[in-house]
Amino acid sequence: MKRTLAILLANPLSLLGVVLVSLVVLSALFADFIAPFPEHRGAVVDFVNFNKAPEWPYIFGTDLVGRDMFSRILYAYRISLILGVVVLAIAVPIGVTIGLVAGYLGGRWEYALMRLTDVFLSVPPLVLAMSIMGVLQPTLANGMLAVTAMWWPWYTRLVYNITRGEKEEGYVLAAEVIGASRAHIIFREILPNCVPAIITKMTLDMGFVILIASSLSFLGLGVQPPTPDLGSMVADGAKYLPDSWWLTIFPGLAILVAVFGFNLIGDALRDILGAEQ
Amino acid sequence: MTAPILELAAVSKIFGTGADAVRAAQSISFAVNKGECLAIVGESGSGKSTVANMILGIYPPSGGEIRLNGTTLPASRKLEHRRAIQLVQQNPLSSLNPRRSIGASLRLALDVHGIGARKERADLVGGLLEEVGLPADFARRSPAALSGGQCQRVAIARALACQSEIVVLDEPTSALDVLVQARVLKLLNQLRETRNLTFVFITHDLSVVRNIASRIAVFEKGRMVELGQTEDLFANPAHSYTRRLISAVPVVTREEDALRSSLAAGLEETTK
Amino acid sequence: MSAPTLDIENLKLGFKGYTGYTEVLHGISLSVNPGERVALVGESGSGKSVTARIVLGLLQELRAARIEGRVRFEGQDLDSLNRRERHALRGKAMSMIFQDPTSSLNPVFRIGDQFHDVLRRADPRITRDAALGRAASILAEVSVRDAVRVLNAFPFQLSGGLNQRVMIAMALANEPALLIADEPGTALDVTVQAQTLHLMRKLVEDHHTAVLFISHNLGVVREFADQIYVIYKGRIVEQGPTEAVFDGPRHPYTRALMAAVPRLTGGGIPDIDENSPDFGAPLETHEREGRQ
Repeated sequence: MKRTLAILLANPLSLLGVVLVSLVVLSALFADFIAPFPEHRGAVVDFVNFNKAPEWPYIFGTDLVGRDMFSRILYAYRISLILGVVVLAIAVPIGVTIGLVAGYLGGRWEYALMRLTDVFLSVPPLVLAMSIMGVLQPTLANGMLAVTAMWWPWYTRLVYNITRGEKEEGYVLAAEVIGASRAHIIFREILPNCVPAIITKMTLDMGFVILIASSLSFLGLGVQPPTPDLGSMVADGAKYLPDSWWLTIFPGLAILVAVFGFNLIGDALRDILGAEQ
Repeated sequence: MTAPILELAAVSKIFGTGADAVRAAQSISFAVNKGECLAIVGESGSGKSTVANMILGIYPPSGGEIRLNGTTLPASRKLEHRRAIQLVQQNPLSSLNPRRSIGASLRLALDVHGIGARKERADLVGGLLEEVGLPADFARRSPAALSGGQCQRVAIARALACQSEIVVLDEPTSALDVLVQARVLKLLNQLRETRNLTFVFITHDLSVVRNIASRIAVFEKGRMVELGQTEDLFANPAHSYTRRLISAVPVVTREEDALRSSLAAGLEETTK
Repeated sequence: MSAPTLDIENLKLGFKGYTGYTEVLHGISLSVNPGERVALVGESGSGKSVTARIVLGLLQELRAARIEGRVRFEGQDLDSLNRRERHALRGKAMSMIFQDPTSSLNPVFRIGDQFHDVLRRADPRITRDAALGRAASILAEVSVRDAVRVLNAFPFQLSGGLNQRVMIAMALANEPALLIADEPGTALDVTVQAQTLHLMRKLVEDHHTAVLFISHNLGVVREFADQIYVIYKGRIVEQGPTEAVFDGPRHPYTRALMAAVPRLTGGGIPDIDENSPDFGAPLETHEREGRQ
């Protein structure tokens, strides 16, 4: 763990990733203290200062109803991160368990579970999320549900493939010969060997979940106003390009920073943890 | 005469069905006496690993039965059967979970079979490590911090942990360096005596077997072609395959050359 | 006397890693004369395989590796060659046989096409038919009778022993001056291994090919090599004609190694230490016959 961190900080690219992600996480955590206008995250109207280009104290400018863009982006980060954490916290355990069970037990279990996974994987993610959101109400909770439903199969695939390989290792045979239970072999013996790959994928996916949630909001299917969201901010501002450029450029950059940061760390982790095995 | 501890009666194994069926083991019968080291020698495809796997209960025989202390073993083994028959594998690095400590790997056997009170188990693990010639504090290390020989000692300790009676040794030293191999073989010999263990030693290496086994069973293409006392088998192999096998072993001394060429000469006679 | 086919002089190798610099070869010297079979014997981690890799020019391109000393191939310093020239040597003047024959052959190409590729390295304009003809004649030398079937097959359709023979034939197809064999036949059964070694020995004798044979198996080495070098922790500890070394090992490490091999004639498992300060003793050399 210490070694992993040391290598992360030694490489300039992964160091940049750590810096960007820390920036995002700290902004989200301390939005209440950093934001110059915390009340602007809600339905505030200030027609005196509406649609202003960046100038002090509105460093990122203001939107069409006069809310500070900088404050709203900080709060939008909070939503994005919560969304990412919740989605992964639900999708990963489900996907990982199914992958472990299918990979270790094999036979009929493997067939049934992996075909189910294939069905989910064969639907384009955005289309699946859009249909779920279309049937249900376009709320934040349903947005999470939609994104979760399309995310777990990737973990199943990943863990299933690792498990198939680990199953042939001598330590699994040794545990079987000793008489250990299937649950022990699956969760105590095989699962720890999947953890580096899972953590790597989760880091990469934090970025992708933020991206896809923004795409959904961009299409009007995600977080609903007045809650600030990067995707819907870009969508709203896009109509006023190029004159009111700050309405799209800053939320766009914010998405880029978050996704880029998580990807840099994820790539570095893949190299480090992969090499350790 | 005491009853054998392990007995195979007309055991066979067929993989697959119809035209694709592979007869991996055909009507194998032999008995292993308590405290002896019986070697099963053969090349790939001889069926030696299939027999080992059936003894361990990794899969059931297609026909015949396997008896432990006179009772027939069921197709799905009970915990007490698992306890009695343990395994040491060929590859020491793969046989230990890289993500768990040595201590955790050893403790598994104690936990599963409820050996010792919970509080005592950490001490038992230390005792096992010392018994195989490793310091007790190795329990905290991960397998990656150990050499191949040390890993193999841990694997041996694990096989002893549940107070097994029979240990199936599947090529236990063929992945090790010669010097390490000698030490591990010495340890195995010593443990067999102090713990009154019974060994089923699966290998292709006749030089090793010559020095550790009391009896040898030679396997070829799923059949047992010869079974005899080690001395007799080397002095006068009955089966031509045994002769071929012995005379193919690369050796390091002139005495061994002489043994090989005398057996090879016999081989030419029988083929004529 | 002509220059040795391979001459290694005071070769050192170290790696830079996260934990600092580690030297794995501490200055080894060995030479292989034309047509001579030389074995480099050692346990795992002794440095025998990296030596082979340096000779093949495979480690020079690694940024973390630092190599000192001189490696001469037919009198030519390998250091003076650039990457392309080193690449051109491999497979033509120098070739290699690996431990596991089945995975060393490309699974998606037929044996015949792989032979064609190998032969094209020496003669870029050779036709497929000519290549197959040449392949069949070399395969006959390693006792492959149905060459047509073998050349049409994919590696996975052949047995391990047959693949090993194909590898040997392929390695010798371009009449290399030097063959490097890294633990050949270790993955094979004893009877197949014995036969393979026998064929390989006959073939290199007929073609007068020099061989650098890397192995951990003393018995195999004794059967195959004329000269042996015993390597221990990156240093050569004993060298000399095979018979002399086996009949009278002098270095404490060589002695321990020999004593540790279980004997086919019995005698029990010897009581030998895995490690001893004596193993650090200086090099023992048995003089070569007919030289000096």
